[in-house]
Amino acid sequence: MSKDLLLEIFVEPLPARFLAPTLEQLLEKTQAALRDSRLGFTSAASFGTQRRLAVFVRGVEEKSSVLSRDVQGPPARLLKGEDGAFTPQAEGFARKHGLEPAALETVATPKGEFLLARVVAPGESALKLLARILPETIKSLEFPKSLEWEASRLRFGRPIRGLTAILGRSVIPFELAGVRSGRILRGLAGPGGKPASLPESIEYRETLRDLLVVVDPEERRRTLLKRLEAAAVQGGGKLDFEGGLLEETVAMTEHPVPVTGRFREEYLRIPVPLLKMVLKKQLKFFPLLGGKGLVAAFVGVRDGGSEGQTQVREGYERVLTARLSDAAFFLGRDEKTSLEFKLSMLARVTYQGKLGSMAEKSQRVQALAQWMCAQLRRRDFPLNEDAAAAIARLGYADLVCETVKEFPELQGAMGGYYARHDGLDERVALGVEEFYYPVAAKSALPVTAEGAVASLAGKIDSLAGSLAVGVAPTGSADPFALRRQATGALRILLEKQLPLDLEAALVEALRLLEGRVALSAADGQRVAGELRDFIWARAQSLFDEQGYLVDEIRSVREGGLRDLPDTLRRLIAVHAVRRHADFEPLAAVFKRAANILKQAAQKGEVVPEGGPERAALREPAELALLEALDLLSAQMTEHLAAGSYDACLRAVVALKPKLDEFFAQVMVMAEDRALRAQRLALLARLVRLIKRAADLSEIQGPEKAEARLAAAR
Amino acid sequence: MLNFQELILELQRFWSRQGCLLIQPYDMEKGAGTFNPATFFGALGPKPTAVAYVEPCRRPADGRYGNNPNRLGKYFQFQVLIKPAPADITGLYVRSLKALGLDHHKHDLRWIEDDWESPTLGASGVGWEVWLDGMEITQFTYFQQMGSLPLFPVSVEITYGLERIAMYLQKKDDVYQLAYNDSVSYGDLYKEQERQFSAYHFEVADAAMLARHFDEYESEGERLAGLKLTLPAYDCVVRVSHLFNVLEARGAISVTERAQYIGRVRGLAKKVMNLYLELGAPAVHQMEPQHV
Repeated sequence: MSKDLLLEIFVEPLPARFLAPTLEQLLEKTQAALRDSRLGFTSAASFGTQRRLAVFVRGVEEKSSVLSRDVQGPPARLLKGEDGAFTPQAEGFARKHGLEPAALETVATPKGEFLLARVVAPGESALKLLARILPETIKSLEFPKSLEWEASRLRFGRPIRGLTAILGRSVIPFELAGVRSGRILRGLAGPGGKPASLPESIEYRETLRDLLVVVDPEERRRTLLKRLEAAAVQGGGKLDFEGGLLEETVAMTEHPVPVTGRFREEYLRIPVPLLKMVLKKQLKFFPLLGGKGLVAAFVGVRDGGSEGQTQVREGYERVLTARLSDAAFFLGRDEKTSLEFKLSMLARVTYQGKLGSMAEKSQRVQALAQWMCAQLRRRDFPLNEDAAAAIARLGYADLVCETVKEFPELQGAMGGYYARHDGLDERVALGVEEFYYPVAAKSALPVTAEGAVASLAGKIDSLAGSLAVGVAPTGSADPFALRRQATGALRILLEKQLPLDLEAALVEALRLLEGRVALSAADGQRVAGELRDFIWARAQSLFDEQGYLVDEIRSVREGGLRDLPDTLRRLIAVHAVRRHADFEPLAAVFKRAANILKQAAQKGEVVPEGGPERAALREPAELALLEALDLLSAQMTEHLAAGSYDACLRAVVALKPKLDEFFAQVMVMAEDRALRAQRLALLARLVRLIKRAADLSEIQGPEKAEARLAAAR
Repeated sequence: MLNFQELILELQRFWSRQGCLLIQPYDMEKGAGTFNPATFFGALGPKPTAVAYVEPCRRPADGRYGNNPNRLGKYFQFQVLIKPAPADITGLYVRSLKALGLDHHKHDLRWIEDDWESPTLGASGVGWEVWLDGMEITQFTYFQQMGSLPLFPVSVEITYGLERIAMYLQKKDDVYQLAYNDSVSYGDLYKEQERQFSAYHFEVADAAMLARHFDEYESEGERLAGLKLTLPAYDCVVRVSHLFNVLEARGAISVTERAQYIGRVRGLAKKVMNLYLELGAPAVHQMEPQHV
């Protein structure tokens, strides 16, 4: 008869961030261990709190299944020697599979007759098997950080202090890290009372409930949410869930009970981001949102119990008051000086050893922002250049603030607050506030174009500086978050539609760094190349996430950073036109033309610049192609001027019949050298022309493209 | 309700009953109880130990001239160090709070992940800060490394913030209002000290002299280590560490220098630690626990 299995690993309080991934592992590894041991079961689930990791498996078979398999061995002639005794080979093969040589059989195969071992692994009782595999499963759990704490030197996320392992009604006996398994369950620390004995695995959750533990995280989350909402009503505001505090609280508790408290209205003068930080980060309290900003109340969550509720609330309020008075004190100190004065203090803050102080960075970023403004002016992009320069200049000034030293996450937010406090133009204040945007992959960009340019300049300087001194990210290590900064820069250019030459901006950023990092001309070019490749790699993954195919992205790679919004328009067009039946065949023909040119160049063929001479061409097909190219050129110029790549590529696709005809009728590599040169010139013109839209030689045929896509996934 | 000295007495009584040797503070300025040789050396090597002591700690940069009700430039820790860590150590800790009148049933006791690290000692551990109704009252650590070497057997260090606990017990919002005993307040004893030392550390300290002393004690430590005088050499570690703290509060250390200073303290600490392990533990720092 099948039975249910319960394993609980009782630990000292586990960090909140460990819980969900560990429960996932526990479930997977337990199931894998059961399968590997051929022990059947119906279903499995894992549960846990800050103090326990549990897995419950339904319908575990009484015994593991018998495994029989046939293993082919050496050739059959090696069974016995001339003396009639078993050969060493036969004996060895038999022993390896736990058999006597006499039990070996033979099997006929197309390659001849071979020895055969019929290996039978017997079924084993579940209890015995589990006593062996459960400790191994526990040992195999991995944590972001682990420790040693006892003599066996096992490493685990936190010390193991209890093991409850029950199959049906029986204890599964084993020992790990000096702890012997048993049927004892400990309840919620403090209010949970005395430990209980678990008679049968199926009663696990109910027994824990009596001990005031809600072991299922989902159930805990639901209950908490309901109670939080009631507590919020009591506090007179709406819960602020931003930042994952709810999940963290679920992971940090066994029996969460909200407690509503209040603080003095005067602290509402503290800017909202700072107030939220004190509540959420320092105390793990939920802020309550009012009509405008926060209300002077909060919800804290206690682990268990209703006894001493007033005392707990008073404790929460007292601690909060102390923290808020600290925050107000820091704020007051920061407010005594202007952002301009703070800027002057940046000389004392190091940015990066070889790259000097934050003051130097700030000057570079301002100069780069001004350069960008000048570039954008040439493209008639409307911009308040003074504001952009001011944002770039002041962007880092808040790094010397007490509040930012206390809460580094508030960089930018506090700068914006102090800019407003100084009475600076709102455009500047907002730009400073959003200077570090976007802070995450999908998060918001600076709202204004001025803020976007300043933010972009900051990121480009970081990228150029880091690669110039050779601290590019490797593998998963990216200590300066350069990948995120590159992606941020690309998103700003693309989503803010800034027609800015990023390649030139990188060169300018390296030039501005010359005072700090003097690169030789050759090194300068190498670093510029590395920067372009690094940023293009981010662009590629950004486009890839948006659903463009790898070969489509490659087709717009050349000069792709010179005008990113334009690059995206080209990419969209390639992607759209690709559906046209003639497109991929055209790309193939194009690739052929490009290859012929490449080979000709290798052979030292001279190709006249500026295209063929009409009078020198003879065949109707080549004359027709030249005519078509003239027409296409005019069309492309018109479409490109209008930024209409779609129409442009359609015009290119329309060329297909003429091209087919050309290759069918005309021999490019003609005997006559002069004629050959003219034909090559015709192809060169074709390639130049089409490359204005996209490099179609990168486009793969249908099968290849799909294979690549599958490989990429 | 316990006054400050009764609070200390209760903790001493509790941990004494658990078999800890009650030792006295070490007679030098230091930033944390971990610097007491009973912990620094106690955590090293294979021999068991169990000690408890009050340790005055100096954090010059935290001084607020006696004006901030929550921050002190000098305060007291109550420290427990036990090796190897007993299996029921968290339970023992909870019982110690109960001995202070803080019943787990009536309070919110939370264990918040907080791994400890001392860059100057090259030491690190895994553990928590313990929150009592939202207030951090204890740092609880399983030591894992010292001078970048793994520690085995593993010690557990419990550091109680005495002023914080007393403020909670006495329901005071201002540390200087704490009853030290029934007639003398914490402020009576220490407010003037806070004022004067803040002035000294922030405004008056002779940075050039302190920097010179740092250099001198560093060389002296190296010399003593060369002579295999582990304990006096360790005193030099404690001294340079404190000198660094004062220099930093005085604003006399730039960011780059900071890393260098820390590296120098750590270098000396590591040397002393290796010497200690090489020579074998002097008996005085290995206290056999009675019945923990």
